[in-house]
Amino acid sequence: MDWAVITDNMGYMLGGLGLTFQMTLIALSGGMFLGCFLAMGRLSSKKWVYYPASAYVHFFRSQPLILVIFWLYFLAPVFVGRPLGAFYSTMIAFVFFEASYFSEIIRGGIQSVPKGQVMAAQATGLGFFTIQRYVVLPQALGNMAPALITRAIVIFQDTSLAYVVGLREFLRRVNLVDTREVRSVELYCFAAVVYFVICTLGSLFADHLERKREASKA
Amino acid sequence: MIEIRNIGLWYRKGQKILDNVSATVGEGSTVVICGPSGSGKSSLLRCINGLETFQEGEILVNGISVQNPNTNIYRLRANIGMVFQHFELYPHMTVTENITLAPMHVLKISKTRARQKAMELLERVGIADQAAKYPGQLSGGQQQRVAIARGLAMEPALMLFDEPTSALDPEMIQEVLEVMVDLARDGMTMVVVTHEMGFAREVADEIIFMDHGRIVEKGNVQTFFNHPENERTQQFLARILR
Repeated sequence: MDWAVITDNMGYMLGGLGLTFQMTLIALSGGMFLGCFLAMGRLSSKKWVYYPASAYVHFFRSQPLILVIFWLYFLAPVFVGRPLGAFYSTMIAFVFFEASYFSEIIRGGIQSVPKGQVMAAQATGLGFFTIQRYVVLPQALGNMAPALITRAIVIFQDTSLAYVVGLREFLRRVNLVDTREVRSVELYCFAAVVYFVICTLGSLFADHLERKREASKA
Repeated sequence: MIEIRNIGLWYRKGQKILDNVSATVGEGSTVVICGPSGSGKSSLLRCINGLETFQEGEILVNGISVQNPNTNIYRLRANIGMVFQHFELYPHMTVTENITLAPMHVLKISKTRARQKAMELLERVGIADQAAKYPGQLSGGQQQRVAIARGLAMEPALMLFDEPTSALDPEMIQEVLEVMVDLARDGMTMVVVTHEMGFAREVADEIIFMDHGRIVEKGNVQTFFNHPENERTQQFLARILR
Protein backbone atom coordinates (compact mmCIF):
# COMPACT_ATOMS: atom_id res chain seq x y z
CA MET A 1 0.00 0.00 0.00
CA ASP A 2 1.26 3.40 -0.88
CA TRP A 3 -1.16 6.12 0.11
CA ALA A 4 1.16 8.85 -1.05
CA VAL A 5 -0.31 8.37 -4.51
CA ILE A 6 -3.47 9.97 -3.19
CA THR A 7 -1.90 12.99 -1.52
CA ASP A 8 0.32 13.53 -4.54
CA ASN A 9 -2.62 13.64 -6.93
CA MET A 10 -5.23 15.04 -4.55
CA GLY A 11 -5.51 18.41 -6.24
CA TYR A 12 -5.93 16.97 -9.69
CA MET A 13 -8.53 14.39 -8.65
CA LEU A 14 -10.62 16.66 -6.45
CA GLY A 15 -10.50 19.20 -9.24
CA GLY A 16 -12.74 16.78 -11.11
CA LEU A 17 -15.37 17.25 -8.43
CA GLY A 18 -15.93 20.73 -9.84
CA LEU A 19 -17.15 19.22 -13.09
CA THR A 20 -19.06 16.52 -11.18
CA PHE A 21 -20.94 19.11 -9.17
CA GLN A 22 -21.51 21.30 -12.21
CA MET A 23 -23.05 18.37 -14.07
CA THR A 24 -25.15 17.41 -11.07
CA LEU A 25 -26.45 20.95 -10.76
CA ILE A 26 -27.34 21.27 -14.44
CA ALA A 27 -28.98 17.83 -14.55
CA LEU A 28 -30.90 18.65 -11.38
CA SER A 29 -32.20 22.08 -12.35
CA GLY A 30 -32.79 21.25 -16.02
CA GLY A 31 -34.41 17.93 -15.13
CA MET A 32 -36.68 19.53 -12.58
CA PHE A 33 -37.70 22.34 -14.91
CA LEU A 34 -38.61 19.98 -17.74
CA GLY A 35 -40.01 17.53 -15.18
CA CYS A 36 -42.47 20.16 -13.90
CA PHE A 37 -44.05 20.45 -17.35
CA LEU A 38 -44.07 16.69 -17.86
CA ALA A 39 -45.74 16.24 -14.48
CA MET A 40 -48.44 18.78 -15.38
CA GLY A 41 -48.88 16.93 -18.67
CA ARG A 42 -49.21 13.61 -16.86
CA LEU A 43 -51.92 15.14 -14.68
CA SER A 44 -53.77 16.77 -17.56
CA SER A 45 -57.23 15.62 -18.48
CA LYS A 46 -56.52 16.61 -22.08
CA LYS A 47 -55.58 13.44 -23.95
CA TRP A 48 -53.31 15.19 -26.44
CA VAL A 49 -51.25 16.49 -23.51
CA TYR A 50 -51.44 13.42 -21.31
CA TYR A 51 -50.37 10.78 -23.84
CA PRO A 52 -47.22 12.44 -25.22
CA ALA A 53 -46.06 13.31 -21.69
CA SER A 54 -46.70 9.76 -20.51
CA ALA A 55 -45.00 8.24 -23.53
CA TYR A 56 -41.95 10.42 -22.89
CA VAL A 57 -41.73 9.41 -19.25
CA HIS A 58 -42.19 5.71 -19.92
CA PHE A 59 -39.68 5.75 -22.74
CA PHE A 60 -36.86 7.36 -20.81
CA ARG A 61 -37.53 5.31 -17.71
CA SER A 62 -37.12 2.16 -19.82
CA GLN A 63 -33.66 3.18 -21.09
CA PRO A 64 -30.31 2.85 -19.37
CA LEU A 65 -28.78 6.26 -18.80
CA ILE A 66 -25.57 5.28 -20.50
CA LEU A 67 -27.47 4.52 -23.69
CA VAL A 68 -29.12 7.93 -23.63
CA ILE A 69 -25.69 9.51 -23.24
CA PHE A 70 -24.43 7.54 -26.25
CA TRP A 71 -27.48 8.46 -28.22
CA LEU A 72 -27.03 12.15 -27.83
CA TYR A 73 -23.29 11.99 -28.33
CA PHE A 74 -23.35 9.98 -31.54
CA LEU A 75 -26.76 10.73 -32.99
CA ALA A 76 -27.29 14.37 -32.14
CA PRO A 77 -24.78 15.45 -34.83
CA VAL A 78 -26.85 13.54 -37.37
CA PHE A 79 -29.91 15.62 -36.54
CA VAL A 80 -28.28 18.94 -35.66
CA GLY A 81 -25.70 18.80 -38.43
CA ARG A 82 -22.68 19.36 -36.20
CA PRO A 83 -21.20 17.73 -33.08
CA LEU A 84 -22.46 19.21 -29.83
CA GLY A 85 -19.34 18.33 -27.91
CA ALA A 86 -19.09 15.84 -25.09
CA PHE A 87 -20.17 18.20 -22.34
CA TYR A 88 -23.28 19.62 -24.00
CA SER A 89 -24.50 16.33 -25.40
CA THR A 90 -24.05 14.67 -22.00
CA MET A 91 -25.87 17.44 -20.19
CA ILE A 92 -28.77 17.28 -22.62
CA ALA A 93 -28.89 13.51 -22.11
CA PHE A 94 -28.96 13.97 -18.35
CA VAL A 95 -31.68 16.61 -18.47
CA PHE A 96 -33.87 14.53 -20.81
CA PHE A 97 -33.32 11.40 -18.77
CA GLU A 98 -33.71 12.87 -15.31
CA ALA A 99 -36.80 14.86 -16.33
CA SER A 100 -38.67 11.57 -16.61
CA TYR A 101 -37.78 10.65 -13.02
CA PHE A 102 -38.43 14.12 -11.67
CA SER A 103 -41.79 14.27 -13.39
CA GLU A 104 -42.96 11.29 -11.35
CA ILE A 105 -41.66 12.78 -8.10
CA ILE A 106 -43.25 16.14 -8.93
CA ARG A 107 -46.49 14.47 -9.98
CA GLY A 108 -46.71 12.88 -6.54
CA GLY A 109 -45.98 16.25 -4.95
CA ILE A 110 -48.67 17.99 -6.99
CA GLN A 111 -51.19 15.31 -6.08
CA SER A 112 -50.39 15.87 -2.41
CA VAL A 113 -51.87 19.38 -2.67
CA PRO A 114 -55.62 19.25 -1.93
CA LYS A 115 -57.77 19.75 -5.04
CA GLY A 116 -60.04 22.10 -3.15
CA GLN A 117 -57.30 24.72 -3.07
CA VAL A 118 -56.96 24.55 -6.83
CA MET A 119 -60.70 24.96 -7.14
CA ALA A 120 -60.65 27.92 -4.77
CA ALA A 121 -57.89 29.51 -6.83
CA GLN A 122 -59.81 28.86 -10.07
CA ALA A 123 -62.88 30.43 -8.53
CA THR A 124 -60.98 33.70 -8.07
CA GLY A 125 -60.24 33.80 -11.80
CA LEU A 126 -56.60 32.70 -11.68
CA GLY A 127 -55.29 30.80 -14.71
CA PHE A 128 -53.63 27.39 -14.79
CA PHE A 129 -49.99 28.47 -14.74
CA THR A 130 -50.49 31.13 -12.07
CA ILE A 131 -52.19 28.56 -9.86
CA GLN A 132 -49.35 26.08 -10.39
CA ARG A 133 -46.73 28.73 -9.77
CA TYR A 134 -48.16 30.26 -6.59
CA VAL A 135 -50.49 27.69 -5.04
CA VAL A 136 -49.54 24.17 -6.10
CA LEU A 137 -45.80 23.99 -6.75
CA PRO A 138 -44.60 25.80 -3.60
CA GLN A 139 -46.49 23.30 -1.47
CA ALA A 140 -45.64 20.35 -3.72
CA LEU A 141 -41.93 21.22 -3.57
CA GLY A 142 -41.98 21.20 0.21
CA ASN A 143 -43.68 17.80 0.24
CA MET A 144 -41.28 16.24 -2.22
CA ALA A 145 -38.01 17.79 -1.02
CA PRO A 146 -36.72 14.54 0.57
CA ALA A 147 -37.45 12.56 -2.62
CA LEU A 148 -35.77 15.25 -4.73
CA ILE A 149 -32.63 15.16 -2.62
CA THR A 150 -32.49 11.38 -2.84
CA ARG A 151 -32.71 11.70 -6.62
CA ALA A 152 -30.02 14.39 -6.57
CA ILE A 153 -27.71 11.95 -4.82
CA VAL A 154 -28.34 9.36 -7.51
CA ILE A 155 -27.57 11.96 -10.19
CA PHE A 156 -24.38 12.88 -8.38
CA GLN A 157 -23.26 9.25 -8.60
CA ASP A 158 -24.47 8.82 -12.17
CA THR A 159 -22.39 11.72 -13.45
CA SER A 160 -19.49 9.24 -13.38
CA LEU A 161 -21.05 7.66 -16.48
CA ALA A 162 -19.93 10.71 -18.43
CA TYR A 163 -16.51 9.09 -18.67
CA VAL A 164 -17.81 7.09 -21.66
CA VAL A 165 -17.71 10.20 -23.81
CA GLY A 166 -14.42 11.35 -22.32
CA LEU A 167 -15.47 13.93 -19.76
CA ARG A 168 -12.91 14.27 -17.01
CA GLU A 169 -15.10 14.39 -13.95
CA PHE A 170 -13.95 13.08 -10.59
CA LEU A 171 -14.01 9.33 -11.17
CA ARG A 172 -12.47 9.66 -14.63
CA ARG A 173 -9.57 11.61 -13.14
CA VAL A 174 -9.03 8.95 -10.47
CA ASN A 175 -9.06 6.43 -13.29
CA LEU A 176 -6.49 8.45 -15.26
CA VAL A 177 -4.18 8.65 -12.26
CA ASP A 178 -4.51 4.90 -11.90
CA THR A 179 -3.48 4.21 -15.49
CA ARG A 180 -0.34 6.24 -14.85
CA GLU A 181 0.51 5.16 -11.30
CA VAL A 182 -1.07 1.67 -11.24
CA ARG A 183 -2.31 1.95 -7.69
CA SER A 184 -5.85 0.69 -8.12
CA VAL A 185 -6.60 -0.39 -4.55
CA GLU A 186 -5.60 2.90 -2.93
CA LEU A 187 -7.13 5.08 -5.59
CA TYR A 188 -10.49 3.38 -5.79
CA CYS A 189 -10.70 3.21 -2.01
CA PHE A 190 -10.16 6.94 -2.02
CA ALA A 191 -12.86 7.43 -4.65
CA ALA A 192 -15.28 5.33 -2.60
CA VAL A 193 -14.60 7.41 0.50
CA VAL A 194 -15.21 10.68 -1.37
CA TYR A 195 -18.55 9.46 -2.79
CA PHE A 196 -19.51 8.04 0.58
CA VAL A 197 -18.85 11.27 2.45
CA ILE A 198 -20.66 13.51 -0.02
CA CYS A 199 -23.69 11.24 -0.40
CA THR A 200 -23.95 10.72 3.34
CA LEU A 201 -24.01 14.47 3.84
CA GLY A 202 -26.80 14.67 1.27
CA SER A 203 -28.80 11.93 2.99
CA LEU A 204 -28.41 13.61 6.35
CA PHE A 205 -29.69 16.82 4.83
CA ALA A 206 -32.72 14.98 3.41
CA ASP A 207 -33.40 13.41 6.84
CA HIS A 208 -33.10 16.80 8.45
CA LEU A 209 -35.66 18.29 6.03
CA GLU A 210 -37.98 15.36 6.59
CA ARG A 211 -37.85 15.79 10.36
CA LYS A 212 -38.42 19.52 10.04
CA ARG A 213 -41.50 18.83 7.92
CA GLU A 214 -42.84 16.33 10.43
CA ALA A 215 -42.27 18.84 13.21
CA SER A 216 -44.00 21.68 11.35
CA LYS A 217 -47.01 19.44 10.70
CA ALA A 218 -47.46 18.56 14.36
CA MET B 1 -78.29 38.58 -12.45
CA ILE B 2 -78.14 34.77 -12.65
CA GLU B 3 -80.39 32.96 -15.06
CA ILE B 4 -80.33 29.17 -14.75
CA ARG B 5 -82.21 27.49 -17.58
CA ASN B 6 -83.01 23.78 -17.58
CA ILE B 7 -79.62 22.57 -16.40
CA GLY B 8 -78.84 18.88 -16.73
CA LEU B 9 -75.61 17.46 -15.31
CA TRP B 10 -74.44 13.89 -15.07
CA TYR B 11 -71.20 12.01 -14.61
CA ARG B 12 -70.05 9.20 -16.80
CA LYS B 13 -72.07 6.40 -15.24
CA GLY B 14 -75.30 7.98 -16.35
CA GLN B 15 -76.50 8.99 -12.93
CA LYS B 16 -78.06 12.44 -13.10
CA ILE B 17 -76.69 14.93 -10.60
CA LEU B 18 -78.87 17.78 -11.80
CA ASP B 19 -82.09 17.30 -13.68
CA ASN B 20 -83.87 20.14 -15.43
CA VAL B 21 -82.96 22.77 -12.86
CA SER B 22 -84.12 26.34 -13.48
CA ALA B 23 -83.83 29.34 -11.21
CA THR B 24 -83.33 33.08 -11.27
CA VAL B 25 -81.33 35.17 -8.85
CA GLY B 26 -82.06 38.86 -8.99
CA GLU B 27 -79.47 41.57 -8.42
CA GLY B 28 -78.92 42.24 -4.73
CA SER B 29 -80.98 39.29 -3.61
CA THR B 30 -79.98 36.37 -1.40
CA VAL B 31 -81.04 32.90 -2.41
CA VAL B 32 -80.62 30.01 0.00
CA ILE B 33 -80.40 26.47 -1.35
CA CYS B 34 -80.99 23.58 1.02
CA GLY B 35 -81.69 19.91 0.77
CA PRO B 36 -80.27 16.53 1.83
CA SER B 37 -76.67 15.66 0.97
CA GLY B 38 -76.25 14.38 -2.56
CA SER B 39 -79.16 16.43 -3.81
CA GLY B 40 -76.95 18.43 -6.20
CA LYS B 41 -76.78 21.73 -4.30
CA SER B 42 -73.02 22.08 -4.45
CA SER B 43 -72.86 20.90 -8.04
CA LEU B 44 -75.38 23.55 -9.03
CA LEU B 45 -73.26 26.19 -7.32
CA ARG B 46 -70.16 25.01 -9.17
CA CYS B 47 -72.01 25.17 -12.47
CA ILE B 48 -72.57 28.88 -11.94
CA ASN B 49 -68.86 29.76 -12.08
CA GLY B 50 -67.90 27.03 -14.52
CA LEU B 51 -66.08 24.76 -12.07
CA GLU B 52 -68.46 22.04 -13.18
CA THR B 53 -69.37 21.29 -16.79
CA PHE B 54 -73.02 20.59 -17.40
CA GLN B 55 -74.46 18.83 -20.43
CA GLU B 56 -77.85 20.45 -20.83
CA GLY B 57 -79.29 23.89 -20.55
CA GLU B 58 -77.67 27.26 -20.08
CA ILE B 59 -76.56 29.53 -17.28
CA LEU B 60 -76.31 33.28 -17.80
CA VAL B 61 -74.47 35.48 -15.34
CA ASN B 62 -75.13 39.15 -16.10
CA GLY B 63 -76.24 38.04 -19.53
CA ILE B 64 -73.03 36.14 -20.23
CA SER B 65 -73.37 32.43 -20.96
CA VAL B 66 -71.05 30.50 -18.64
CA GLN B 67 -70.41 27.63 -21.02
CA ASN B 68 -70.24 29.53 -24.27
CA PRO B 69 -66.80 28.79 -25.73
CA ASN B 70 -66.39 32.48 -26.52
CA THR B 71 -66.87 33.44 -22.90
CA ASN B 72 -63.73 34.44 -21.04
CA ILE B 73 -64.31 32.14 -18.08
CA TYR B 74 -61.44 33.70 -16.09
CA ARG B 75 -62.96 37.16 -16.32
CA LEU B 76 -66.35 35.76 -15.41
CA ARG B 77 -64.99 33.93 -12.37
CA ALA B 78 -63.16 37.06 -11.25
CA ASN B 79 -66.59 38.61 -10.90
CA ILE B 80 -67.97 35.73 -8.82
CA GLY B 81 -66.62 35.12 -5.32
CA MET B 82 -66.82 31.65 -3.85
CA VAL B 83 -66.52 30.34 -0.31
CA PHE B 84 -66.07 26.63 0.39
CA GLN B 85 -67.05 24.30 3.18
CA HIS B 86 -63.43 23.55 4.07
CA PHE B 87 -62.18 27.12 3.55
CA GLU B 88 -59.47 26.02 1.07
CA LEU B 89 -57.05 28.72 2.12
CA TYR B 90 -53.48 28.39 0.86
CA PRO B 91 -51.62 27.10 3.94
CA HIS B 92 -48.17 28.29 2.82
CA MET B 93 -49.25 31.91 2.52
CA THR B 94 -50.12 34.42 5.21
CA VAL B 95 -53.68 35.65 5.59
CA THR B 96 -52.79 38.80 3.66
CA GLU B 97 -51.09 36.85 0.87
CA ASN B 98 -54.12 34.59 0.57
CA ILE B 99 -56.27 37.63 -0.03
CA THR B 100 -53.93 39.57 -2.34
CA LEU B 101 -52.96 36.72 -4.71
CA ALA B 102 -55.90 37.00 -7.10
CA PRO B 103 -56.23 40.81 -7.10
CA MET B 104 -52.54 41.09 -7.97
CA HIS B 105 -52.52 38.47 -10.70
CA VAL B 106 -55.99 38.73 -12.16
CA LEU B 107 -56.85 42.40 -11.69
CA LYS B 108 -53.16 43.36 -11.94
CA ILE B 109 -53.37 45.86 -9.12
CA SER B 110 -50.18 46.82 -7.27
CA LYS B 111 -49.02 44.98 -4.17
CA THR B 112 -49.44 48.08 -2.02
CA ARG B 113 -53.00 48.66 -3.20
CA ALA B 114 -53.85 44.97 -2.82
CA ARG B 115 -52.53 44.92 0.75
CA GLN B 116 -54.44 48.06 1.61
CA LYS B 117 -57.59 46.52 0.26
CA ALA B 118 -56.92 43.27 2.15
CA MET B 119 -56.60 45.16 5.43
CA GLU B 120 -59.90 46.94 4.83
CA LEU B 121 -61.58 43.62 4.18
CA LEU B 122 -60.03 41.96 7.22
CA GLU B 123 -61.29 44.91 9.23
CA ARG B 124 -64.72 44.33 7.76
CA VAL B 125 -64.77 40.63 8.74
CA GLY B 126 -63.32 41.52 12.15
CA ILE B 127 -59.89 39.89 12.09
CA ALA B 128 -57.49 42.65 11.05
CA ASP B 129 -55.18 41.60 13.89
CA GLN B 130 -54.57 38.20 12.21
CA ALA B 131 -53.25 39.59 8.92
CA ALA B 132 -49.68 38.33 9.31
CA LYS B 133 -50.58 34.84 10.55
CA TYR B 134 -50.83 31.63 8.57
CA PRO B 135 -54.19 29.89 8.14
CA GLY B 136 -53.07 26.99 10.33
CA GLN B 137 -52.74 29.38 13.28
CA LEU B 138 -56.37 30.50 13.06
CA SER B 139 -59.59 28.97 14.32
CA GLY B 140 -62.04 27.55 11.80
CA GLY B 141 -64.32 30.55 12.11
CA GLN B 142 -61.44 32.93 11.51
CA GLN B 143 -60.26 30.90 8.52
CA GLN B 144 -63.68 31.03 6.96
CA ARG B 145 -63.80 34.79 7.44
CA VAL B 146 -60.44 35.04 5.69
CA ALA B 147 -61.91 32.97 2.86
CA ILE B 148 -64.82 35.39 2.62
CA ALA B 149 -62.39 38.32 2.53
CA ARG B 150 -60.44 36.53 -0.20
CA GLY B 151 -63.60 36.27 -2.27
CA LEU B 152 -64.55 39.90 -1.64
CA ALA B 153 -61.09 41.13 -2.60
CA MET B 154 -61.98 40.66 -6.26
CA GLU B 155 -64.92 43.03 -5.74
CA PRO B 156 -67.30 40.49 -7.22
CA ALA B 157 -70.84 41.23 -8.25
CA LEU B 158 -71.93 37.93 -6.81
CA MET B 159 -70.89 35.60 -3.99
CA LEU B 160 -71.42 31.84 -3.84
CA PHE B 161 -71.29 30.06 -0.49
CA ASP B 162 -70.99 26.27 -0.40
CA GLU B 163 -71.99 25.11 3.09
CA PRO B 164 -69.77 27.75 4.68
CA THR B 165 -70.52 26.74 8.26
CA SER B 166 -70.84 22.94 7.95
CA ALA B 167 -67.24 22.26 8.91
CA LEU B 168 -67.22 24.65 11.86
CA ASP B 169 -67.50 24.00 15.55
CA PRO B 170 -70.90 25.20 16.79
CA GLU B 171 -69.50 28.17 18.70
CA MET B 172 -67.88 29.54 15.54
CA ILE B 173 -70.86 29.36 13.24
CA GLN B 174 -72.33 32.63 14.46
CA GLU B 175 -69.29 34.78 13.72
CA VAL B 176 -69.30 33.59 10.10
CA LEU B 177 -73.03 33.98 9.68
CA GLU B 178 -72.84 37.52 11.03
CA VAL B 179 -70.39 38.46 8.29
CA MET B 180 -72.71 36.92 5.72
CA VAL B 181 -75.78 38.68 7.10
CA ASP B 182 -73.91 42.00 6.90
CA LEU B 183 -72.99 41.24 3.29
CA ALA B 184 -76.56 40.42 2.38
CA ARG B 185 -77.82 43.62 4.04
CA ASP B 186 -75.21 45.62 2.12
CA GLY B 187 -76.88 44.46 -1.06
CA MET B 188 -74.48 41.75 -2.22
CA THR B 189 -76.04 39.20 -4.54
CA MET B 190 -75.61 35.86 -2.81
CA VAL B 191 -76.34 32.21 -3.44
CA VAL B 192 -75.87 30.24 -0.25
CA VAL B 193 -75.99 26.49 0.16
CA THR B 194 -76.64 25.99 3.85
CA HIS B 195 -78.72 24.23 6.44
CA GLU B 196 -78.67 27.26 8.73
CA MET B 197 -82.38 27.98 8.66
CA GLY B 198 -81.96 30.87 11.09
CA PHE B 199 -79.79 32.58 8.50
CA ALA B 200 -82.31 31.80 5.79
CA ARG B 201 -85.15 33.29 7.81
CA GLU B 202 -83.14 36.43 8.44
CA VAL B 203 -81.91 37.36 4.98
CA ALA B 204 -83.16 35.01 2.27
CA ASP B 205 -85.30 36.51 -0.45
CA GLU B 206 -85.94 33.07 -1.79
CA ILE B 207 -85.36 29.54 -0.53
CA ILE B 208 -84.86 26.63 -2.89
CA PHE B 209 -85.21 23.06 -1.72
CA MET B 210 -83.50 20.38 -3.78
CA ASP B 211 -83.77 16.62 -3.74
CA HIS B 212 -82.24 14.08 -6.12
CA GLY B 213 -80.97 16.72 -8.49
CA ARG B 214 -84.27 18.52 -8.85
CA ILE B 215 -85.75 21.66 -7.38
CA VAL B 216 -88.80 20.41 -5.54
CA GLU B 217 -89.78 23.60 -3.75
CA LYS B 218 -89.12 27.28 -4.24
CA GLY B 219 -90.52 30.17 -2.32
CA ASN B 220 -90.02 33.15 -0.05
CA VAL B 221 -89.31 32.72 3.65
CA GLN B 222 -92.99 32.96 4.59
CA THR B 223 -94.35 30.30 2.29
CA PHE B 224 -91.31 28.05 2.59
CA PHE B 225 -91.37 27.70 6.35
CA ASN B 226 -95.08 28.04 6.99
CA HIS B 227 -96.71 26.37 4.01
CA PRO B 228 -94.29 24.00 2.32
CA GLU B 229 -96.20 22.15 -0.37
CA ASN B 230 -93.92 19.26 -1.14
CA GLU B 231 -93.87 16.26 1.13
CA ARG B 232 -90.10 15.94 1.07
CA THR B 233 -89.68 19.56 2.06
CA GLN B 234 -92.02 19.02 4.96
CA GLN B 235 -90.06 15.98 6.11
CA PHE B 236 -86.77 17.83 5.73
CA LEU B 237 -87.97 20.87 7.64
CA ALA B 238 -89.45 18.72 10.37
CA ARG B 239 -86.06 17.08 10.86
CA ILE B 240 -83.94 20.18 10.62
CA LEU B 241 -86.13 22.52 12.70
CA ARG B 242 -86.73 20.06 15.50
